[in-house]
Amino acid sequence: MTRLIALIRKELGQIRRDKRVLASLIVPPTVQLLLFGFALNPTVDHLKMGVVDLDHSPQSRDLIANMTESGAFRLANTYFSTDQLGTAMGRGDLDAGMVIPYRFARDLERGRQPDVQILLNAMNANTAAIAQGYAQNVLRNWSQVYPQLDGLHAQYRPISANDVSRRGRVVMHPAFLFNPGLVTPWFIVTGTLGVLLMLNGSLIASAALVKEREAGTVEQLLMTPAGTGEIILAKITPLFLLLCLMILFATALIRVAFGVPFRGSFLLVLAGAMLCMLSGIGIGTFIATFSKSAQQAQLMAFFVNPPLASLSGALTPVEAMPQWMQPLTVLNPIRHFGIITRSVLLKGSGLMAVWPEMLALIAFTAVLLTLSVMRFRKQLG
Amino acid sequence: MRRVFAQMRKELTQIARDRLALVLALVLPLCLMLLLGNAVSLTVTGLPIVVQDLDSTPASRDFVDAFRASLTFHIVSWPSSRPPADAFLTNAARAALVIPEHFGRDMARGRNTEVQLLVDATDANTARLVQGYAGQIVSNYRPEAQPVKADIRLWFNPGRDSKKFYGPGVFVMGISMFPALLAALALSKEGEQKTILQVYVSSISAHEFLLGKILAFVAIALAEAFLSVILLFSYFGLSFAGDPSVFIVATVLYAFCVAAFGSFIGLAIPSQAAAIQAVALGGFLLTFLLSGLIFPVQNIPSGIRWVSSMVWARYYIEIVRDALLKGGGWPAMWWSVVRIAQIGTVFYVLGWRKLRRMQLSI
Repeated sequence: MTRLIALIRKELGQIRRDKRVLASLIVPPTVQLLLFGFALNPTVDHLKMGVVDLDHSPQSRDLIANMTESGAFRLANTYFSTDQLGTAMGRGDLDAGMVIPYRFARDLERGRQPDVQILLNAMNANTAAIAQGYAQNVLRNWSQVYPQLDGLHAQYRPISANDVSRRGRVVMHPAFLFNPGLVTPWFIVTGTLGVLLMLNGSLIASAALVKEREAGTVEQLLMTPAGTGEIILAKITPLFLLLCLMILFATALIRVAFGVPFRGSFLLVLAGAMLCMLSGIGIGTFIATFSKSAQQAQLMAFFVNPPLASLSGALTPVEAMPQWMQPLTVLNPIRHFGIITRSVLLKGSGLMAVWPEMLALIAFTAVLLTLSVMRFRKQLG
Repeated sequence: MRRVFAQMRKELTQIARDRLALVLALVLPLCLMLLLGNAVSLTVTGLPIVVQDLDSTPASRDFVDAFRASLTFHIVSWPSSRPPADAFLTNAARAALVIPEHFGRDMARGRNTEVQLLVDATDANTARLVQGYAGQIVSNYRPEAQPVKADIRLWFNPGRDSKKFYGPGVFVMGISMFPALLAALALSKEGEQKTILQVYVSSISAHEFLLGKILAFVAIALAEAFLSVILLFSYFGLSFAGDPSVFIVATVLYAFCVAAFGSFIGLAIPSQAAAIQAVALGGFLLTFLLSGLIFPVQNIPSGIRWVSSMVWARYYIEIVRDALLKGGGWPAMWWSVVRIAQIGTVFYVLGWRKLRRMQLSI
């Protein structure tokens, strides 16, 4: 025991003198959380819309005003023909277009169903899907409200639509739970937390383990009476303590900078974060056993990190991946940690709801750490 | 000129011998493209939804069938005794549809009926999608009852296939990262092992040395681009939408830009480990975050949006997407091509000045 404490003290002293380690505990979390949180924003608003109004009636103008004042679309230009609108969209000047047909107002007043054409640039599938929903919403709301309006225009009533012939509509009332303001960064930031712990944990661990080998001081350590298990444990413990500080710092940052609510038990998140980080340290140790220099370890990270980060559901929803790929994400600790943070922080779920994920994280940590420690030990011995 | 080519040949031979470098240059970009092109997407399908039908009439079941038929939702069973919002706590469902008791009666009488949709909004983007999809299902349930009919046309990607949007983006990411990484590694290695001193004492000029190195990595980038484009055309189902000449010119210029960036980093940082980190920051982080690869550039807060106008990948992504999806051609894209050339030249000049100053200081 005293040997272990002495070794840990030696590691701590080494870390304390290395300013780069301290910087790497504060700078990457800050930069990544802030950049990801602010820059990765799929919100769809202010799409540039071009309009062709062939009707020129108060009704059509009112519809255009409603559509372009909704925040989702912004009136970029009006055109006289659909051809002009088409070329403008091809050039990339517009994201959307609306064509209101001749006789729009007359059809509306007679109770016929006029068509309104809406063109959307669907290159970005997500933007197109959301814009499509918006456009239909605006049209639906406008046509519900418009007949009752008594504003600038004369009030009118559809002539033929009397109560007998009219068919009822289904009106949907959506309610957004847990995040009624639809704040986008909450999703990204809670996911990034896991990516951060995993990547930085693995990078710092592999760097710390490779350093000793690069400097050729491993042999000196082996000559001491300490066993290989003690050496490894002494290496990992200070890293673990330091990274715990990083967890506290990062969670404080998402609370202060993004206003993420902490609805559930913070201890549960903390426990999940520690487990996620330990599996990160396990991966880092594993990488270190394959590489002879810091440079090799970093190149190796290029092979490991992109799949880990992208197949985690941290930045994009898992349900958006192809069917065959979704089961693969179960093998990713970041995914489980993401579910825990989101459930606990945003929804206030307790251990009863997230125990399968907790169990998975414990399993990952145990397997990864024992595997990498065994490999490392074999190399040392 | 002969010396430039000799330098280039030497560089290519060196890479061909290094197996790790070859994998990095040619295999990893393709793997990354397959992986990320599939995985990175925001348009969800098969979302679990809970239905609480308090009416249980033929009309309400007919309405639920409209949801069951959609690809976006798949209905999971949930005991009617528990509140539907509880399904969100355990992540059993992402949305819940509540149909009130009088649904069938109101439908038969021609009255408007209200249904409620509860959405788990922890993921705001998915919540918006769910709202939009559900709204479409609801308005298509009785299309003749809507006062105004919306004819929505989706241009350039009618199937709303997100692979076609992210595939080209990931292609750009691969080509921005790996040739730059190899170039930076090659030049920082010369600095680290001091073989660059041999270059200084030889008769080769700074321009010839740098051009030779850059041309070698341009060749690698073009080979990578060629392989990736084959993948884009086969697996991702894309083809040239219009004039391919913009794409070809831009690809050559972009290869130069990326190789120049990598060489500049390698010259500026004579340590391989640090150079890798710098390329990871410039080639990966900037490309991934600030180029419109996943999320639109317009959504970046204006405080840091100006950075993205200097990110070379941003212009190339615009060109690639235009060439493969829109077909706007030269009139739409000439400015982006010019920007790539400008940024490439800046990196070349920076690298050359660095090299010359070192040469003079010895």
